[in-house]
Amino acid sequence: MPRIWTNPEFLRHRRAELRSVRAITVAAVIVVMCLLLGLACWSYEQSLLENARLGLQNYGTQAWQQRFDDLQRESATKTWLLFYRWLVGLQGVALTFWALFSCAQSVSGERDRKTWDFQRTTRLTPAEILIGKLLGEPVLIYFAVLCAAPITFIAGLAGGLPFSAVISMFVFLAVTSLFLGLGGMWLSTLLESRTRGVGLIGALALYLLTIGTFGMRTSGLPGLAAMSPLTGIFVFLGLDPSSMHKVTPLLFGHAVPWLLMNVLLCGSFSAWLALMLIRNLKRDYPEIRPLSRWQAIGCAAFLNFLIYALLSPINSLGPAGRVGWFRDAESVALFAVAMNGLILFLMGLATLTPQERLKVWQRRRATGTSAVFADDGLPWPWLGISAVVAYALMIWGLLAWDHALPLDLTTLQSAAIRLVIVLVFVTRDVLFLQWCMLTRLRQPVVKGVLFLGLYYSAAAVLTGLASVSSEDASRWMLALLTPAQVFDPKVQGTAFPPATYVGLLFQMGMIGVMRNAITSRLQRPMQAGAAA
Amino acid sequence: MIELVHLRKEYDNVLAVDDLTLTIPQGEIFGLIGPNGAGKTTTIRMACGLLAPTLGRALISGVDVAQAPERAQQYIGYLSDFFAVYEDLKVWEYLDFFAHAYKMPEDEIPARITEVIAQVNLEVKRDAMIGGLSRGMKQRLGIARAIIHRPRVMLLDEPASGLDPKARLELRNLLRSLRDQGATILISSHILTELEGFCTSIGIMEKGRMVRSGSIEEVTAAAASTRLVRLTWSGDSLGAVEENLKKDARVSGVNLTARAGSFGFSGAEEDLAPVLAALVQANVQVTSFGEVKQTVEELYMKLSTHEVM
Repeated sequence: MPRIWTNPEFLRHRRAELRSVRAITVAAVIVVMCLLLGLACWSYEQSLLENARLGLQNYGTQAWQQRFDDLQRESATKTWLLFYRWLVGLQGVALTFWALFSCAQSVSGERDRKTWDFQRTTRLTPAEILIGKLLGEPVLIYFAVLCAAPITFIAGLAGGLPFSAVISMFVFLAVTSLFLGLGGMWLSTLLESRTRGVGLIGALALYLLTIGTFGMRTSGLPGLAAMSPLTGIFVFLGLDPSSMHKVTPLLFGHAVPWLLMNVLLCGSFSAWLALMLIRNLKRDYPEIRPLSRWQAIGCAAFLNFLIYALLSPINSLGPAGRVGWFRDAESVALFAVAMNGLILFLMGLATLTPQERLKVWQRRRATGTSAVFADDGLPWPWLGISAVVAYALMIWGLLAWDHALPLDLTTLQSAAIRLVIVLVFVTRDVLFLQWCMLTRLRQPVVKGVLFLGLYYSAAAVLTGLASVSSEDASRWMLALLTPAQVFDPKVQGTAFPPATYVGLLFQMGMIGVMRNAITSRLQRPMQAGAAA
Repeated sequence: MIELVHLRKEYDNVLAVDDLTLTIPQGEIFGLIGPNGAGKTTTIRMACGLLAPTLGRALISGVDVAQAPERAQQYIGYLSDFFAVYEDLKVWEYLDFFAHAYKMPEDEIPARITEVIAQVNLEVKRDAMIGGLSRGMKQRLGIARAIIHRPRVMLLDEPASGLDPKARLELRNLLRSLRDQGATILISSHILTELEGFCTSIGIMEKGRMVRSGSIEEVTAAAASTRLVRLTWSGDSLGAVEENLKKDARVSGVNLTARAGSFGFSGAEEDLAPVLAALVQANVQVTSFGEVKQTVEELYMKLSTHEVM
């Protein structure tokens, strides 16, 4: 286990960011801010008390007397509680935001300053660099939170909150900010110096996405809301809005505390991010490959596993029977297929092979010394394996939930066909991205994804145009060009229209075309001479 | 010791380095010469583990850079043509960071920092913020960073570009002293005078391939079939000189004036002694006699195919 306090990278940040003058200034500012905030909270409570006193003077009723007495009795506690809530709210926002954005510039910033190569040629291991940057980049905000921590503790306890609730709040914030820091660092690793702006936009998107998971508390996967800092603020500050009362996160159908769910989710996602970072931190930019083939399959399995672990069919029970996301096993299977479209695409992205490695694989393949399933080969065979694993997990998940959502064989048959269709479309798209990587495009993956977006937009327009002539024509167009028909609720069991199968065959042909295009790109002759 | 074994690097459809095999023994200073885009930087970046080779291996002091990068890095000091530093640190803090990053023994670090700061003449700036240093001082600090952990192998990619003449001289002296301490140095440059009288061996790279490599003497011998010999004498001995030189079948291209001249000699270096003895015996008052050594620049111009990338 690398030692944090003697980690050279952490020490470098600590020295640069926390020189004694700056540290004293930050501590003084924090204390002054806390004082001002405390005064504001006291003033607010006093104004409520004053209003009650005036009300009692003017009206003299029993109700006003009661209100005045209550306020007077609880005034101190309420002032401390209000103070605590403000302190934690501000710290929560500042800590998570700062951790994410400072880490999102960590590696790209070093590339920009051209200091990264020198750090890569030291004996620091990727894990040491990771820990140093994760804790070092936001060291100033950690210090600020540390300065405010004693005041926050006192405010929380004086506000009547149990010690465990105050501690839980800090654990929640620490876990979430570390997760966001890792996410930011991963974004930073993926970006060259000239695209730092894109990194900041990505970081903002990640922040909003994490905050937005709060909305998942009323979905079929309520546990996902545990990743949002808002959840922590509502649950641990004792605010408990009405919606939080009703919802508890479920793990395999068992209610678990929000803090545990937060630690489980942020912890497991952080572990995947850490794995990707450790694999790639010391690699040259074009050599970055987020996951190995088997790791990608493991990640796909983990994400599938999460679907069934966090599923909450009970939560979807409304007054008129089953409503919401998961009415029956069929809807769970459909959701899993849709999610696997996304998961397989992400796994495809994570396992795209750099051009140079693919060329070596192609040459070895020509001489019979490399297999289709080699780590440097094309990603499509591994997408197939991921889909098989996802289907196996679907069978397991649906059987596990059989007591709440009865399963029949048709659901599994239908899901298999749907998954195959989704797999074919994803494979085509991933092979297209792989082909883009063999061209001279700058940022080929980003541009490839944009081209795919353009393709699906064009497909939607063509479907719209076809619908002018007939509904059948639009259905054919949709089935030929997109996997949208897979999610058609009108399809019962395995009775897919012929257009779906024709579309499937058409796309398999497209995969063949992409495969040939890649091969011909790989066989281009080499020119001698370096790209300086 | 540096060993590059069948190194190959491809970018897109460009072959940057093609099947490069090279061994640089301990204590050598090897100059890598070639035009821009010849593959020098790519070779050095592969040797220090910044780039993964498409094929082949790079071994530093017997350690495979790709297989055991952290172990190999303890032997490598890397210096590039840019001297980027952390501007928000003090000079000693910067060196302390790298000393710890190279995992030097804790008790050795303070003394070593003082030592390298003295070596690059930055004593008075020890506690200064790097952001306030001049460019030249930052470059010297970069050199101090590269040698802080006493590397056995120095990989220098155009290290003198941008250095002022004084700093260049200091860099040369520093590298010489490192070589004297047993360090192996691989230095790339396209400024050939930089390597003059400094490298013990050279390699000429073009279009990703090593055109020629070896000790300066070997390369000179390979480049020139005849040695150029220059001589001067006093008195009126032009006729005697011409007569004696023409007697020797290995002499060609005789070019003489009243008291000086030059000729080509196709024999070995030691075969020149009898030629000089014959002149002396013929009562020619020889005042100077010696082979004209070719400069690295001349060698490069002879051996290079001058193909543009």
